[in-house]
Amino acid sequence: MNRVYSAFLSAIVILVAAVGFSGCKSSTSTTAGSSSGTAAPLAEEPNVTFKDLQGNNVALSSLKGKVVLVNFWGTWCEPCRGEIPILIAMQQKYADKGFTVLGVATNDDEKAVDPFIHNTQFNVDGHQMTMNYPIVMGSDDISTKFGGLLGMPTSFLISRDGKIIKRYIGAFANADEINKQVESHL
Amino acid sequence: MNLAKSFFCLAILALVSFGGIVMAQESSTPKSAAEVVKTQPYVSLDPVPRGKAFEAAVVVHIAEGYHMNSHKPSDTYLIPTTLTPKLPAGIRLVDTMYPQGSLKKFAFSPDKPLDVYSGSVTLRLKLAAQDTAAIGATTIPMILRYQACNNSACLPPVKVPVTAELRVAAAGSAAKSVHSDIFAAPAHN
Repeated sequence: MNRVYSAFLSAIVILVAAVGFSGCKSSTSTTAGSSSGTAAPLAEEPNVTFKDLQGNNVALSSLKGKVVLVNFWGTWCEPCRGEIPILIAMQQKYADKGFTVLGVATNDDEKAVDPFIHNTQFNVDGHQMTMNYPIVMGSDDISTKFGGLLGMPTSFLISRDGKIIKRYIGAFANADEINKQVESHL
Repeated sequence: MNLAKSFFCLAILALVSFGGIVMAQESSTPKSAAEVVKTQPYVSLDPVPRGKAFEAAVVVHIAEGYHMNSHKPSDTYLIPTTLTPKLPAGIRLVDTMYPQGSLKKFAFSPDKPLDVYSGSVTLRLKLAAQDTAAIGATTIPMILRYQACNNSACLPPVKVPVTAELRVAAAGSAAKSVHSDIFAAPAHN
């Protein structure tokens, strides 16, 4: 009997420790687009300034007040392309409510990006659409400030007050989870 | 006693389930480019006499669950796998031979199969040692460019240096065919 109780108590202690560890990992969680990562979490959004395709500066901090989905992608990345219809639909649905997607192109050369965003049509709920959200260029320095990218696409959901809520590594398999997350922060 | 046993089993079950979830999440984390692709260079003759044709090969081992675009990917925006040698004086490139890819569908591209490499593939260079090739040990530096993905995420395109080593000998020297398992297979282009 005592041995049973000891084993039981040990199991409970380990279980509590394990659950406690998972709960205390960080306030910023990482979820699947389809897979999860283990890089250091970020609570505050990094202080970064992007260049848009016209060469203008776009500070991430200038978007404070909006819920922002920072989406690192590349024209060469098939999973990134696969989730673009979801992002277009989100922009359509939530832009008026204080939300924006910010696409960060990781191509070495912006010459491939400009024609892509203007010419490539995506099937969004049966409608052919081009990308309808702002696109800026990324860099190694910017990726590093976001904690390093383990793969593409990687998205960061940022609250209105500039806190990173969640990181998503890999393409969104469907819109449900990310839509729920966005709606809960609008 | 029965109650204690039940609690005990429940706790163990919960613990095992939790561990399983954590392990499943960690195992799907994208790897680094260096972990995903390993390369091994080979040369078909030892030594390589001046005036002889020979081959260099790079065997590319792609980690399970990953793929890279083939040399002829399904779409123009995808980055093809390429092998580019920087040849020493006296070594001439005759041809570069890439294996055929396989058409595979992925969760992120359910309707459009992609032309990819997975598992192990061999890229080969047909070369010729000219009369001007320096006799003795030399190297053939090559750059393997590829872009790899798993079922949900991609690694950035990378250029990886690979160096094949060989010995050049005088014209008419005896030469032994080596690594015949790699060079005997028919090559594609």
